[in-house]
Amino acid sequence: MSRVDAPPRHCEPKAKQSSRRLSFPGWLRRFAPRHDGLSALVAPILLILAFSSARADEAFIPNQGGGDLAIVDLAAMTVAARLPLGGKPAGVAVAPDGLRVYVTSPEGGFVSVIDARARRVEKRIEAPGLPFGVAVAPDGGKIYVADMNGRELTEIDAQSGAKRKAEVGAVPSGVAVTPDGAVIVVSARDDDALVLLDAETLAVRATIPVGRHPFGLAIDAAGERAYCVNVESDDLSVVDLKTQRLVATVKVGKRPYGVALAGGRVFAANQYDETVSVLDARSLAPLAVVKVGEYPESLSASPDGARIYVTNWFSNELWALDAQSLEILGKTETGEGPRAFGAFVRKTD
Amino acid sequence: MTVCSLPGGAPPGGSRPPRRFCGLAAALALLAAASVALAPSVAAAHGATPQKVVETIEIAAPPDKVWAVVGDFADVSWRPEIERAEAEGGNVPEKAKRRLFYKRGGSLDERLVQYDSAAMSLRYIIERADINVLPVGNLSATLTVRGIADGASRVEWKSRFYRAFPGGNPPEQFTDEVATDAVTRIFKAGLASLKAKLERP
Repeated sequence: MSRVDAPPRHCEPKAKQSSRRLSFPGWLRRFAPRHDGLSALVAPILLILAFSSARADEAFIPNQGGGDLAIVDLAAMTVAARLPLGGKPAGVAVAPDGLRVYVTSPEGGFVSVIDARARRVEKRIEAPGLPFGVAVAPDGGKIYVADMNGRELTEIDAQSGAKRKAEVGAVPSGVAVTPDGAVIVVSARDDDALVLLDAETLAVRATIPVGRHPFGLAIDAAGERAYCVNVESDDLSVVDLKTQRLVATVKVGKRPYGVALAGGRVFAANQYDETVSVLDARSLAPLAVVKVGEYPESLSASPDGARIYVTNWFSNELWALDAQSLEILGKTETGEGPRAFGAFVRKTD
Repeated sequence: MTVCSLPGGAPPGGSRPPRRFCGLAAALALLAAASVALAPSVAAAHGATPQKVVETIEIAAPPDKVWAVVGDFADVSWRPEIERAEAEGGNVPEKAKRRLFYKRGGSLDERLVQYDSAAMSLRYIIERADINVLPVGNLSATLTVRGIADGASRVEWKSRFYRAFPGGNPPEQFTDEVATDAVTRIFKAGLASLKAKLERP
């Protein structure tokens, strides 16, 4: 559901990692420890300017039980705003330009269009069945919504609201689009397959068998591979998008729900193990397992790939992890039952 | 199969069959859809909203004594709604299974998925559900025993599950509230019974 926008990063010294705590954006911190006269004067002014104009990266977290959307300031790791949405919101997709955020409400049968800067609901778009998984085309022109109670993916034109439908398979769940916008990838959960659709015609290009009950999805920044986690077989499947073939299926933890890519690594959230599995994105070698909150579900990377965020459904938290050191950088309460199935991080204005 | 348009839309609310059919295929598909609506598939429950139940109780008994009961997956002597269980596989995750026979009839199959004796915690799932016995889908539950002051224990029983009806607008016997009430009742009664059993002189 999310893409890596940054090239792979290398491990940094531990001391540097631990100094990079969450209170200020990194570039501001350089002013804080200095004691010479000029910066003592300048730093507070810069701080005021910074906080009055620019915003930190944000996470848009639908709380399904609570029926609202928490907008989390990711520098401070605090909830900056809360929008009531209704309809048990679950799926989310931040548009690539960051101006709009789309949130599905499966039990309301609609998609909320959020004006991300104004932090308000712009409108609701009706969507068939139980709209759950959602993704936005790279140019922001089309929104793709999966009906979990049916077999179809609905394409919605962001401007006109015009709809087109495509039959995908049983229980369409995760949705992601290649960086060039040409291919839509959908996990057809109860068909145990990833389905590749031509974005122009919505015709099925390939149906690729993966593990049992594929759910969360991610595509790499180059658009070469799709990664999905399989809830019932406890593994991760990797599909080559050019050859349209399964590359590999590797074990992760128990009941994996969400997957994301950051810094050349794959992260899978294992609901029953309450861990995040970390693997090398290319070799798929397992690197680490990180203990997180209760019933982790969805993962998204920071725009620079330095951090990974995970929602914990049972303990109602969002956690931030350093993608390289795997240190836990911060946590915040989100609201009741955070799902955030999809790409939930928005880049700084 | 070849497809053609079937006039008329999907039925209002509920689970919706695919929209395009031909002749006999349409009739069969509608029959299948109707039977799905009557007997919702547990496996298809994900689109609805997961429910959360957490119940705790304090017991005047040391944790190891409490865990000796709770940590035995085959022991359902403290579950008042259960007549008896057929269990196999001991306490080995994925191998340990039990069939619970309910006093008011019917049975469910459960599987142990995690077991940590050091942390005194186990997690199980309902592998074969029966919505007439318990109106839920995709249930997983965790039992944890912790030591508290004065040599006493706190037992937490928490669960994630869905209502039995996977689609929108569930019938009144398969709503979120009905599912949550049923699980809450079982957890409360079970913990009260466990406390009574362990505190008995």
